[in-house]
Amino acid sequence: MNPKFAGYAHPEVLVDGAWLQEHLNDPSIRIVESNEDVLLYDTGHLPGAVHIDWRGDLQDNTQRDYVTPERFAEVCSKNGIGPDTTVVFYGDKSNWWAAYALWAFRLFGHTKVKLLDGGSAKWKAEGRPITREKPKIAPTQYPLPKRRHDDEIRAFFLDALAHSNARQPLIDVRSPGEYRGEITHMPEYPQEGVLRGGHVPGARSVPWKTAANDDGTFKSFDELKKIYTEDLGLKKDDDIIAYCRIGERSSHTWFVLTYLLGYDKVRNYDGSWTEWGNMVRAPIAKGEQPG
Amino acid sequence: MSTYPPNLAEIVDFFDLLPEDEKRENLIAYADSAAACAPKAGETFDLEDVRKDEECTDTVGVFLRVDRATRALHFRINLGPHVQTLTRAMTAILCKGLDGATPEQVLDVPQDFVPKIVGGQLVRLRSQTVYYILTRMKSTAKVWLNRERAAAT
Repeated sequence: MNPKFAGYAHPEVLVDGAWLQEHLNDPSIRIVESNEDVLLYDTGHLPGAVHIDWRGDLQDNTQRDYVTPERFAEVCSKNGIGPDTTVVFYGDKSNWWAAYALWAFRLFGHTKVKLLDGGSAKWKAEGRPITREKPKIAPTQYPLPKRRHDDEIRAFFLDALAHSNARQPLIDVRSPGEYRGEITHMPEYPQEGVLRGGHVPGARSVPWKTAANDDGTFKSFDELKKIYTEDLGLKKDDDIIAYCRIGERSSHTWFVLTYLLGYDKVRNYDGSWTEWGNMVRAPIAKGEQPG
Repeated sequence: MSTYPPNLAEIVDFFDLLPEDEKRENLIAYADSAAACAPKAGETFDLEDVRKDEECTDTVGVFLRVDRATRALHFRINLGPHVQTLTRAMTAILCKGLDGATPEQVLDVPQDFVPKIVGGQLVRLRSQTVYYILTRMKSTAKVWLNRERAAAT
C-alpha cells in the first residue's frame, strides 16, 4: 500500500497508479471514469475503463434528482458492475466528478468503492497506459437497490437551513470569491443560473482545493487534520454538511471528511448554491465572515 | 438568419448535417489538431493576450496578427494541458473558421453556431466553456479595433 494512505481513517478506499495498473485485468473490479470534460474519455482512458456520465447516467434532470433504482441498476448492469464489484473511480478536475459518482453510488448502497488518487491527470503524467478502445463488457444483473441512502449522506435545503439556524458545521467549499459574494460562478466558468452571490449564514469557507496537492492527489492525513480538525474545529461526532455550487466540489470534501479523516456524519448538500442562492426568503451572508 | 465568415460557415454546414456520434468523432479530431493552432517559432503578433485562471481551467493565450492591407485577422491560440476537449475542438474550429475575417466580422459572429456544431447531447452548462474561446478572440479583435480607431483620430 502507498505509505501515505496508511495514515488515513479508511486507507482501503484509495488506490494509486501502481496498484491500479497491476489490477487492470482484475475481474473483481470495474474501473469507471467520470469527468466534467464530456469528451475526455473518448480521447483516451485507462484500459478496460468504462465511462459513467454524471448527468446522463446518474441524474434525473426532469426532477433535479438522481436516477431511479431501476435506472441505476440498468447503468451498473450495462457497465458490467455487479453488487460485489469493487468500483474504482477516477476522472478529471482532481477527481471532482469521480468523487461525485462515488458518492452517488453510495446513495444507492454500493459500498465497494475506491478512488484513484490524483485521477486521470496523474495517471497520464506518470506515463501509464491509455487507450481509445472501448472495452467489450459482458452485462451483469445488478439487483434493484432496496432504497436510497439520502438520509445518511445527502442534505437538502431544509437540512442546510436548520444547520444554518443552529450554527451547526456547514462548510462552503467554493472559491473565496464565490464565498464572499463577489462572483456567482467559478472564474472563467459560465454562469449557472444563480441570482445572488454570498454564502449560507454560518458557513465556514474551506475551499475544496485546500485538501488537494497541485498534482490532484489528496494531502496527507496530518495536513488534512490540521485544516479540518485543528483549524476548523470539527469534532468526530459533528453533524457536518458541505456544499458548493452544484454538489461536485463538495463531493470531494465529503470524501475527504468521510473516508480520509473518518468523520461519522457528513452530508453533501448537492442542491448547493444554485438552490440556496435562488431560494425565496433564504437568507444569505456576504463577505469574509460566516455571518 | 445568421451569417458567418465563409470558412466558419463551411464548418457549421458540415457539422449541422452530422448525426451525434459523427459530430463527436469530428470534434475529437478537431481537438486533436488544436495543438497546431499554437504560435510557431519566429512568428510575431500585433496583440498577445495570455491569461491563467487559478481555480479551474487553464492557461489560454490568444495571439493576433493583422494584415494591414486587407485588415484580415490571423489567430494563433495556445492552450494549457487541462483545457477541456470541447474547448480544444472549438479552438481549432475557430482558428480555421475565422482565419482571414475582418475585426468587424469576428465581433459580429453570433454564438448560435455552437449548438449546430456540438449537438444536443454535449451541450450542457459545464460544457459552455466552448463559448470562452470565441469570447477571448472577440475581446482581442476589439482591442485591435479600438487601437486602429484611436490611431486614426
